[in-house]
Amino acid sequence: MKQSRLLLLLSLLLIGVLALSACGGTTTPADSAGSSDTAASDADSGEATPVGDEGLAASVTTASDLAPPIVAEPCGDDCPYTGQTVTVIVNTAGEKGPISGPIYEVRDEFEAATGATLEIVEVPFAEHFPKLMTDLTTGSGQYDTSIAGAWWLGDLVEGGFILPYDDMYNAEGFPEWDFEDVLPGPRSLLEYGGQKYVVGNDHDGQVMYYRRDLLEDPDHQAAFEAEYGYPLAVPETWAQFRDVAEYFDGKDLNGDGQPDDGLTMHLKVANQGMFHFMSFSAPFVIGPDNPNLYWFDPETMDALVDSPGHVRAMETMIDLVQFGPEAMMAWNLGESWDHFLRGEAALTFTWGDLGALAQEEGSQVRGLTGAAPIPGTTEYYDVTAGEWKQVDGVNRVGNTTGGSWSGVISKDSDAPEATYFLLALMASKPKSSVYAARGWDGVDPGRYSHFLPPNGDASMDDYLAAGWDEQDIQDYSNAYYENFNAELQFPYLRIPGAFEYWTSLDIHLSEAATGQATAEEALQATADEFEQITDRLGRDMQQQSYVSSLGLE
Amino acid sequence: MSAQLDSPPPAAIEPVTPRVRKDRTGAWFLAPAVVWIILFTIFPLLFALYNSFYSFRFGQRNQFVGLDNFGRLFTDPNLRNGLQVTLWFVLVTVTVEMLVGFGLALLLNREMQGKNILRAIMVLPLFATPVAMGYLGITIFFETNGPINDTIRALGGQGIPWLSSPKWAPVSMMILEVWQWTPFVFLVSLAGLQGLPQDVYEAAEVDGASGRQLFRSITMPLMAPTLWLILLLRMIEAFKVFDIPTSLTSGGPGRATEVYSLFTYRTALRFFDHGYAAAQGFLLLFIVMFIVTILYGRISELYE
Repeated sequence: MKQSRLLLLLSLLLIGVLALSACGGTTTPADSAGSSDTAASDADSGEATPVGDEGLAASVTTASDLAPPIVAEPCGDDCPYTGQTVTVIVNTAGEKGPISGPIYEVRDEFEAATGATLEIVEVPFAEHFPKLMTDLTTGSGQYDTSIAGAWWLGDLVEGGFILPYDDMYNAEGFPEWDFEDVLPGPRSLLEYGGQKYVVGNDHDGQVMYYRRDLLEDPDHQAAFEAEYGYPLAVPETWAQFRDVAEYFDGKDLNGDGQPDDGLTMHLKVANQGMFHFMSFSAPFVIGPDNPNLYWFDPETMDALVDSPGHVRAMETMIDLVQFGPEAMMAWNLGESWDHFLRGEAALTFTWGDLGALAQEEGSQVRGLTGAAPIPGTTEYYDVTAGEWKQVDGVNRVGNTTGGSWSGVISKDSDAPEATYFLLALMASKPKSSVYAARGWDGVDPGRYSHFLPPNGDASMDDYLAAGWDEQDIQDYSNAYYENFNAELQFPYLRIPGAFEYWTSLDIHLSEAATGQATAEEALQATADEFEQITDRLGRDMQQQSYVSSLGLE
Repeated sequence: MSAQLDSPPPAAIEPVTPRVRKDRTGAWFLAPAVVWIILFTIFPLLFALYNSFYSFRFGQRNQFVGLDNFGRLFTDPNLRNGLQVTLWFVLVTVTVEMLVGFGLALLLNREMQGKNILRAIMVLPLFATPVAMGYLGITIFFETNGPINDTIRALGGQGIPWLSSPKWAPVSMMILEVWQWTPFVFLVSLAGLQGLPQDVYEAAEVDGASGRQLFRSITMPLMAPTLWLILLLRMIEAFKVFDIPTSLTSGGPGRATEVYSLFTYRTALRFFDHGYAAAQGFLLLFIVMFIVTILYGRISELYE
């Protein structure tokens, strides 16, 4: 009997432990999955994609109610697309979620203006590209448009799966939007081979975020200068970034009595860590004498990612890992953003969403979040000359890394005009301006009309109405404008198999960051896999795509 | 017309005897199963075999490559890694599940207070979706302030890098698998134990057999066929593990938890290299069939 009671006690204890475990902690990812209406989690996505910045947004903030104005008039009895149906496939995030939210928002207006019906098919990140490709390769025509990732263009255009919209652009009967309003960096992602395929929507790029209050604190300024021998300021080079991260690491940054971190990144496999490396490494490889070559030699398609410039970049980045939480090796984007939004990190570099999310209710860093272009280097390895080259000042490279989720039109669409109408309506200036100002919708700024004067013609009042802190939006606007307008731009990979190349980089970056390989070994393995992928997909065809996508003909 | 005239006379129609009628009826009953097997087993198998001889570009068959895709199986270090991770996973999880599951079944196969409630609660993890278990695992193993690390720190220890360390991430994945599937071993073992003839035990006890002797000489031999069957089922399932590593770690850090099925999934549905993915499928099929054949032979021996 005693034995039975003991057994019962032990069993109850075990069950108790399991139940407690299931309840979770106070700020664990369970919150990300359940409590936010800012964005959907990827809980149903199976494996998260390694690309794209939406769908995994932060959980500590709450969406605002700011809505864009009505642009298209109801068609009444003279509707151009009556009886047609436009089916859009988009990443799962819900009616108030990143990228998908604005489509739900515009549905009534679109249907009233065209007479067509809008159907929205949400699929998890991980299933979007496979489902789209299956639809396109089988010719079933289930989807008229996909809100696609920019890195899919190689597969979609080279495979002949999507339609250019040059003939419809600003033609009579379609909503007007201004292609030239998009800054040069993101604009280059809307075209392929000289034709327009992608209707502007989201404009991704990474900038550096820093805690302005910390960098402007006189005590910190004095202590930093005493320790490092130069004044504390917004980092302009990665070496300075390292110093600032090191200085703030272990200090209490949000007043909760707990030590915080110098920086935060997200390095979980299949969760976009390689974008960190791309933005980070660009000024180590790209420079005035080598503005384009980062991925491959355009003549031979030999991989370049194991060059000394890439290796030094990875070594430098891995060195930074010590100033962030160890857990970030297994963090996705949302978890890393949450860390910054809770005031637990001094620095990070990521997409525009973070700056906007910092303004939302729940953020602890509203009014404290500065932004600046990604730091640069003082020398870079010119892969064409095979030597390191010094630069005057700082070698900065703008980037458009990310998904830049925007609409493309399927070649199998039964309603291509109605589909373009929808995408153009969302691209119209009045709507796009509101999308860019809000944090929750995942649409990031990239047009002159999104930026404050003197860079653009956006209104400070609009941003203030959207809940922005005045100094935060000023920094943010300047940072993105400089990033997208930079003379040197990181060459975005848009060839068939881009996803496979990036997955290889992503996995080997994780190996290096977690000590399973040195930076050199990791990049050598990446280069070897790049060669295999190129051979399998056809070296000649890949070379043509590469040359064409970079405009190197 | 002449063809009709020249053709041989039709064969005599077989009279419909009760036996023939019975055979036809049997065939009709069998037909759904045959159609099912052809459609969902034979056809996919042959289609996969057909695909495995081709390279793919843009998700479509590109060119015939013969046995190249099978040749890649022997030179691909990432596949070797996937196989290695999976073999370790199967070895550790199935062993632990068998020991703990059967052990718990032995403990709960007796009269005690709250026995039925405990048994019901014990099997609860079985009903959870594996992918949900993976996401629950992210919460449980959350390193910054997850419940396990919080408890360890409260007791004065240091938090464990459950998901960020290439050494601990496989352990986390295995813990979740064991958590979910030990109840299965428990449930089937308990059913087996309760089906054992009590008179054999009573006779042995009358003869003065000790508890240990009862276990070694009666329980184990009588339970052996059941345990081998559970082992077989669990091994087959464990080889196919996909949901938990995919949702918990996405195969990382690096490739530390990239199990074979996840590797194949990526090959097919991420990289659209369907030919190579098909070849990988056949390799896994071969490995599992090999193990099944050995274990099935052992089970057959025991039943004989």
